[in-house]
Amino acid sequence: MEAALSSPPEWLERVVQIAIPPAARESVAGDLWETYESPWQYAAEALRTVPFVVVSQMRRNLNPLALMLQGGLIYICLGGPATLLLLPILMLRDAYQPIARPSPRRAIREAVLLSSAAMVMLFLFMSVHPPFPVRAGVDPFTWMSLFLAALFLSPFLCLFRAGLIMQGDRRTALADQELSKDSLASAYEDFLRGTFCRNILEGVALGFAAACGFAFAWNGILIGLFVLAAIYLLMDSVPRASSACDFMSLRTRYQRELVRQEQLRRFLRWLWFAPVLVALQARLSENSSAPASLTVLLNCVAVAILCFLVAALNREFGGRVQEEIGQLDRVRERLTQTVSLGEPSAANR
Amino acid sequence: MESLGQFEQIVLTAILALDDNAYGVTIHAKVEDLSRPKKATRGAVYATLDRMEDKGLISSWLSEPTKERGGRSRRHYRIEKSGEKALRDSARTAQRLVETIAQNLGGLAWKPR
Repeated sequence: MEAALSSPPEWLERVVQIAIPPAARESVAGDLWETYESPWQYAAEALRTVPFVVVSQMRRNLNPLALMLQGGLIYICLGGPATLLLLPILMLRDAYQPIARPSPRRAIREAVLLSSAAMVMLFLFMSVHPPFPVRAGVDPFTWMSLFLAALFLSPFLCLFRAGLIMQGDRRTALADQELSKDSLASAYEDFLRGTFCRNILEGVALGFAAACGFAFAWNGILIGLFVLAAIYLLMDSVPRASSACDFMSLRTRYQRELVRQEQLRRFLRWLWFAPVLVALQARLSENSSAPASLTVLLNCVAVAILCFLVAALNREFGGRVQEEIGQLDRVRERLTQTVSLGEPSAANR
Repeated sequence: MESLGQFEQIVLTAILALDDNAYGVTIHAKVEDLSRPKKATRGAVYATLDRMEDKGLISSWLSEPTKERGGRSRRHYRIEKSGEKALRDSARTAQRLVETIAQNLGGLAWKPR
């Protein structure tokens, strides 16, 4: 292909880049750039191309069982109409999941924003019920405790995010630019072994949690979700790598399994926090007649913090998996002495 | 056994014909050429490539970034063994179709336009 004579306007290119799901951005944006003729042609081509790419990414990232479980969780917390509205949004979010971990600056900014919002809400509530609202059933000591808790919320959330970022930085990179098929097969086998053990452990833990749910009279649907997830994990048989499979096929299989497992983990992280979220939602429903009460405010703050923690875990771990997939995408096969000289390598065919 | 749709057959044939140079732009150009007079959008080609990759018929990898693409990489594709087999099966079916049509529409003088 001939080199493009000129390049698209920066603003237009940025808009198109935002519209393309990150997993396909590099190649699709590059292809659009390569065939650039004029801003109108570029925009029209992008309009014709991007919807297909978005739908394709939605399909690729769709995990029906995980989506069904997520739907159940949303149904418990928010009801039917919200579930119908949120499921397509969840599918769209899957299509647009980032291919790298969020930047540390952004992560810390989110933590500071959340804690600042919590403090502002607390101060607003104090200003509505001045000074020390005895009629709200709260004594000055509790107010002081809340004030101090709000003060320490920001450093706590920042430390939580910083800890996740540092943990991600410490992990070893999968590979350099070249890797032999045996090394890749060994890395895949390690991943499968780790996943198998983890699934067994987490499946048992989910089963135990479901049993505890019976004892503590949890919501029936929630117990059902725990049982379903436990059964799924225990029965989940990870496909084994075939010895006949070549470097590229092995890499594709490894990437596909990474995506599948991360989809499952993303749901499980939400599921583990679900009992607390459901309990808080039940308390909010009970107090809906007195919307200005301190209980409602604290419950809202607790829900926001919990959601922040789960979302932070999902973003960091999801980002790590996407980074690993990106690394695998760029790895080339290193020819070893075991490869027959008569046969062309898979990568060089 | 994986059976292929018509568009999948065209895209697979394009990848086969392009060999080492099979990436989005060239595959789309080849698909347009093969499916004349019908037009094929690039988006449909990407969606088909993704679907066939998920089926294990093809695999892909990213090349080094190049200047003519604004510093971006190309996603190259190649056919897997299962893709080759599916394409052979489709070609055999197409061959039988051509022969049957030829027998019923003018013998050996008939040619697909």
